[in-house]
Amino acid sequence: MDEKKCYEQKQYKNGLKFAKQILANFSDHGETLAMKGLILNCLGRKEDAYSFVRQGLRNNLKSHVCWHVFGLLQRSDKKYDEAIKCYRNALKWDKDNLQILRDLSLLQIQMRDLDGYKASEETRYKLFELRPTQRASWIGYAMSFHLLQDYDTALKILEEFRKTIQKTTYDYEYSELLLYQNLVIRESKNLHEALKHLNTYEANICDKVTLQELRGELYMKLGRKGDASEVYRGLIKRNPENRNYYLKLEEALGLATVEERLKLYEELKEKFPRAQVPKRLPLNYARGEELESLLDPYLRAALQKGVPPLFTDIQSLYSDPDKIQIVEKLMNSYLTNLEETGHLCETDNEFKEPASILYVLMFLAQHHSYLGDIEKALALMDRALEHTPTLIELYIVKGKILKHAGDYVGSYEALQEAQALDTADRYVNSKAASYLLKANLVRQAEEMCSKFTREGVTAMENLNEMQCMWFQTECAQAYYRLGQYGDSLRKCHEVDRHFTEIIEDQFDFHTYCMRKMTLRSYVELLRLEDVLRSNRFYWDAAQIAITIYLRLHDQPLSANTGENNINTGEC
Amino acid sequence: MNIRCAKPEDLMHMQHCNLLCLPENYQMKYYLYHGLSWPQLSYVAEDDEGQVVGYVLAKMEEESEEDPHGHITSLAVRRSHRRLGLAQKLMDQTARAMVECFNAKYVSLHVRKSNRAALNLYTNTLKFTISEIEPKYYADGEDAFAMKRDLCSFALQNDVTPADPNSFFDNKKNEEK
Repeated sequence: MDEKKCYEQKQYKNGLKFAKQILANFSDHGETLAMKGLILNCLGRKEDAYSFVRQGLRNNLKSHVCWHVFGLLQRSDKKYDEAIKCYRNALKWDKDNLQILRDLSLLQIQMRDLDGYKASEETRYKLFELRPTQRASWIGYAMSFHLLQDYDTALKILEEFRKTIQKTTYDYEYSELLLYQNLVIRESKNLHEALKHLNTYEANICDKVTLQELRGELYMKLGRKGDASEVYRGLIKRNPENRNYYLKLEEALGLATVEERLKLYEELKEKFPRAQVPKRLPLNYARGEELESLLDPYLRAALQKGVPPLFTDIQSLYSDPDKIQIVEKLMNSYLTNLEETGHLCETDNEFKEPASILYVLMFLAQHHSYLGDIEKALALMDRALEHTPTLIELYIVKGKILKHAGDYVGSYEALQEAQALDTADRYVNSKAASYLLKANLVRQAEEMCSKFTREGVTAMENLNEMQCMWFQTECAQAYYRLGQYGDSLRKCHEVDRHFTEIIEDQFDFHTYCMRKMTLRSYVELLRLEDVLRSNRFYWDAAQIAITIYLRLHDQPLSANTGENNINTGEC
Repeated sequence: MNIRCAKPEDLMHMQHCNLLCLPENYQMKYYLYHGLSWPQLSYVAEDDEGQVVGYVLAKMEEESEEDPHGHITSLAVRRSHRRLGLAQKLMDQTARAMVECFNAKYVSLHVRKSNRAALNLYTNTLKFTISEIEPKYYADGEDAFAMKRDLCSFALQNDVTPADPNSFFDNKKNEEK
C-alpha cells in the first residue's frame, strides 16, 4: 500500500496524492479514507482527520487497518483507553499483526494494564518462536511476568534469552541484562541464588558500584557480616563520601558502643584524610568531653578554610541540648580569642585567616537565630557586615534570619543587596525572587527571575516551559495570600500539568530502554511514575488548589462582589 | 553530606537544583534520558535531610567516530553548599564510572568564558584543558570554552580498571608512539 509507505516515511503530500487517485475511482474505500485521515492528522488538520477516519471505519468495519488507524489517531490525542479498544478490535481481524501488537503493548504498559500487557505478549510469544532474534519481545515478555510478580516464569525467559547472547570481551548491554536478571532473582526472595548469580557473572558486570553494593546488601541479609564488612570497606575506598557505606560498615562490624564506633572512625579518618564523612559522623555519636575534643578541630578547620555552610552541617546536632551548649562554648571561645589575639586558639597560632572572624560571627548569628534570639543574631550579622560588606554569604544568612523571624521585607532587601553584588549567580537571584514571593511581591519576583530567563518570552512563560516548580508553587501561595484565587489556581494547574507531562514522558522509554537494555532503571522509572504525584511540589500545589476550591464552594463569589480577579477559564 | 550515584527518583530533585543555580535548564525528559541511558554516570550530593544540594548530569557521546568519551551535560552545587569540595568529588565519581562502564578515554564539557570559579575548578583541580573556543555557544551570546580531561591518566593514578583494558590502554601507547 503506497499510501501507507508515504505515511511511515512522513511523505504526507505524496500520501495525500495517492489517496486522491484511489478515491477518484473508489470514493468509499474505507482503508484509504482512514489513511487519508491519519495523514491529515499529521498535518495538523485534526477535525478533518477524525471525520475521514470515522467515515473510513464506517465503510469497512472488518478492516484491521481502519481500526488500527483509529487507534493511532486517539493515541495521538492521548485518549489511551479508547486507543486500546481500537487496537483490540484491529487484532480481531488480524490477530498476529506484529505492529498492532507492539502498539497495543506500549499503551498497556503506559496505562499499567499489566494483565493485558502479558496477554498481548503471549500472542507475541508465538511470534518470537518464529523470530527469536527480536530481543525486545523476549525482554518485554519476561518483564510482564516480573511486574506481575510471577518471578519463576520471568526468570526462565530471561535465562533462555541470556543464553542466546553472544558475549564479547566487554558488553555493557550484557552487563545491564545480568543486573536486571539479578534484580528479579532478589525480588523473588531467593537471596542465595542472587549472590551465586553475582559471583558467577562478576567478570561480565562492568557496573562495579552496583555489583559491590548488591553484594554487601546480600551478605548482610544472609548474615555473612564478615564478608559484608570487607565489601563496605572496599566501597568506602572507592567513594569515601558515601555516608551509607559507613553506616553499613558499622552494622556489619556489629559495633554496639560509642567507644567502638569512635575507634572505627579514628582508623578511617587516618585512611581517608581528605574525606569529610568520617570526620562528621562521629560527632553524632560522641558526647560530653569526647564530643568537645572532636568538635574543636572540626570547627577550627572549617573556620580557617572559610566554609560558609558550617552551621547547616552542624545543625543536626542541635536536637541534643547538651551538644548545643558545647558548640556555643567553643564558638564563643573562638570569638574571644580572635578578638584578643587574632587566632582561633592558643595552640593554633601559626595559621591566621583574617576572614575567620566573619565565619565565627556568621555561625553564632545562625546559632542564636536557631535558638530564637533574633536580636542577638542580627547584632552579630551587623558586626560581620561592618567588617566585610562585600561577602555575599553574609547577606544570604541575614535574609534567612529575617525570613525565619517573619520579616519578609527585610529578608528580600538583604537578598537584593546580595544579588546586586553578584548578578551572574542564579542561586542568589532565585533566593531573592523566593523572598520577594514570601512578601507577596509577585511582579518584582518575576522581574528578578527575568534576569535569567530566555529573552523574547515573559519570565512566567519561560519558567513554566522549564517546569520551574519552586517558583510556580511559591507564586501560587503568594497569590492565595493576596486573595487572587484565579491567578493562584492557574499556577497550581500549571504545576499539575508538569506532572501529567512527566507521566507522558515515559512513553518513549518503553521501547528505548528495551533497546538500550537499561532495564533496572526502566523498572525504577515505572515505579517512580506510579507515585510521581507524591512529590512535594505537587503536594504544595494540590493543597492550595483544594483550599481555594473548598473556599469557593463555601463562599461562592457573586458577580458583583468586585473580586473579578477570579479567572478559572483555563482550569 | 552524602555523595552517591543518582537514581531515577533523584532526577526531579536534580532539575530543581539546576533551576535554582544555573541559567541553562532542561525539561524533565532530558534528565530521564540521561538517567535511563547511562544510569551509572550521574551523581548527587545530598544533605542530612536527603535534599539534593549538588549534582552532575553526565552522558556518553555516542554519535562520534572518535574514541569513546563522556560529556558533562550539567554540574551544579548550591551556593549554600560551596567550598566543601562537592563539585570535585562528584566529578571524580562520574569520571570513574565513565572508565569502568564505558571505557571512556576522556570527558568533555563546556564552560562560560566568564565563569572564573568553574574554570579554576576544571583547570587546576580536575586537570581539564581547553580544547577549543566555541563562539556564541550560550543562548545569551556568550562564548564557551570546550574542555577535555584525559581519563587514561586519571585511571592510572586512581587505580581504576577500565571496561576493556586492552583497547583502553593500547591506544594510549599508540598515541605516545
